[in-house]
Amino acid sequence: MTSDARGSRFEALGAYLPSTVQSTPDLVASVVRPPDVDLEHITGVAERRVYDRRPEAGEDSYGLALKAARDALGHSRYDAADLDVVVSASITRFRDGDDFYFEPSFAGLLAHELGARRAIHFDVSNACAGMMTGVHLLDRMIRAGIVRNGLVVSGEQATRVAETAAREMVDSYDPQFASLSVGDSAVAVVLDRAVDEADRIHYVDLMTCAEYSHLCLGMPSDRTEGIALYTDNRQMHKADRLRMWPAFHGDQLAKLGHGFADEGFDYIVQHQVGTRFIDYVNRTGAREFGTEMPESLSVVEEFGNTASTAHFLVLHRHLKAGTARRGARYLLVPAASGVVTGALSATITNLGV
Amino acid sequence: MTTVIKAASTLAAPADEKAAAVLLAGQAARECLAEARLSPDAVGVLINVGVYREHNTFEPAVGALVQKEAGINLDYLAHPVPGAAFSFDLMNGACGVLNAVQVAQAMFSTGSAERVLITAADVHPGGRAALDDGYPYADLGAALLLERSATSEGGFGPVRTAGSGSPSETAGYLPNAGYLPTAGMGAGGRTRITVRRDPGFAGQLLDLAADTTSGYARTEGLDLHRTLLVSSRPTADFAQRLADRLGLPQSRVLAPDSPGGGGGLPHTAAPILGYLRAVDQGLPEDVDQILFVAVGAGPSAACVSYRPQDR
Repeated sequence: MTSDARGSRFEALGAYLPSTVQSTPDLVASVVRPPDVDLEHITGVAERRVYDRRPEAGEDSYGLALKAARDALGHSRYDAADLDVVVSASITRFRDGDDFYFEPSFAGLLAHELGARRAIHFDVSNACAGMMTGVHLLDRMIRAGIVRNGLVVSGEQATRVAETAAREMVDSYDPQFASLSVGDSAVAVVLDRAVDEADRIHYVDLMTCAEYSHLCLGMPSDRTEGIALYTDNRQMHKADRLRMWPAFHGDQLAKLGHGFADEGFDYIVQHQVGTRFIDYVNRTGAREFGTEMPESLSVVEEFGNTASTAHFLVLHRHLKAGTARRGARYLLVPAASGVVTGALSATITNLGV
Repeated sequence: MTTVIKAASTLAAPADEKAAAVLLAGQAARECLAEARLSPDAVGVLINVGVYREHNTFEPAVGALVQKEAGINLDYLAHPVPGAAFSFDLMNGACGVLNAVQVAQAMFSTGSAERVLITAADVHPGGRAALDDGYPYADLGAALLLERSATSEGGFGPVRTAGSGSPSETAGYLPNAGYLPTAGMGAGGRTRITVRRDPGFAGQLLDLAADTTSGYARTEGLDLHRTLLVSSRPTADFAQRLADRLGLPQSRVLAPDSPGGGGGLPHTAAPILGYLRAVDQGLPEDVDQILFVAVGAGPSAACVSYRPQDR
């Protein structure tokens, strides 16, 4: 945990959501062997956005990311040419429609297309903690004085795995069951140096408990044509896995002589796995920290689990709608395959959305 | 404060078994730690920069799987003395190791880590590079252990990058790229990969490598004649062509072939392979520093100097 005068802040936030809405009943109707449970009741996901497959829609992972990046820059004091760094964090890396890219980096292509001609660029891949990882690295680069600002972006065509699950899964115990709760979206955030306490990233601390790295695996299916995500839900969401965040965060705070309640968080944003998951993690936090959790923000009911973009989509929607207060302190808690957990604490006041 | 190399390791896949990036990177990581006489739990951050991986796995980060393979801080709750490590993948084609060095410098400078382990393993998704004529790279893994040094002597200089301003597309598509065409892959997507390297890409990368190297030497005040270049190897004759372009003796540009034969080019592991070769043969008396230069798809380039602490 580091907190120094040269800290960074969130300067601008952008998002893009495909306009096509798919309700959970519509999704379930497309499942070849529909689950024997009420999907909407279990996950809390009523609907999600799905990409438009027409090339002119530009809604592959890369196209989604590009639109979110442009939206963020539209709310930023910086032009693309001012950016020192571009980091892309997509898990799904579709470009040119159906091609899944490993190189070149999306970040380099986005930097070029946006006009960030001199930007350092690289991709990070860290499952649903990808955006948080990009922010963590950019924050460190700004604090270290290596760069002044940068953009972290992710576009997720997550419903590609739902399409495969709809064809292949056999019941609600199937490792692809969790794929039915995902949705498509893109977000982008601009960071620069903090100039006052009104906007500041106080800390970003992340940890990988690799003992459990095999519990959620994404790769092409070996049964039908498509990419798939295989999750051991029972092990992944076991009580001990969920205790990792309060244990780690609590220890980090203790090094500073702080307790959770001293942090004065106004809002908490959990990973948007489902409404029950969010409630469960918040209850675990309350029990482990011995204090009430701040108000929990979510969008999972409307957009599903949007993978690496989830926390920033929550911020974007609530700040834009005025349902989250400015001048408040936010806690973002990742929960990603790896298994990755941690905490991002930030005061947000003037963030452009 | 400076960033130094504590240990480095590389290994080729056994010729008679399917290669896995996780195993190659994990073994290279363990060799590095053994060389440095450090416990796996001494690693705070693991950055995996490999591009091609078994089964075309896209989740979790390959870095997390490597962390498990290397036994680094596996379970925060189960550990008697809670120790945390953070791992992730950083992907930027052939430039990954150098991008990761820059990230490590930021980690060290902000007190976020004492040691950063970089792993760079590429394997054909089907496990046997030699069986796919269209795949140019070797099944190869490497690891580089970086450490924060309290002295200001030696170590890495600043990382400089270039490339995003250059034309990235030719006639609407990327001239140098690696991807899985999912349309038409059927149920075979775990073992296929398409690597496109159009004629002319090598010339473009040579221009970029030469410009980036000269620019670095100018900005940082390095005498290239007192420098050993360690270059990536996008083609077998790249080192020779780069030396000619820069007017340097052939012996001053290293871009070693993959160990283990097989004919495949080293990919993300190339800077580590080159560093190990430089260490093995010993730096000539009239060489003050190594200059790493990496160029690859994008096109993207990165450059950083390294002065061993005994120089």
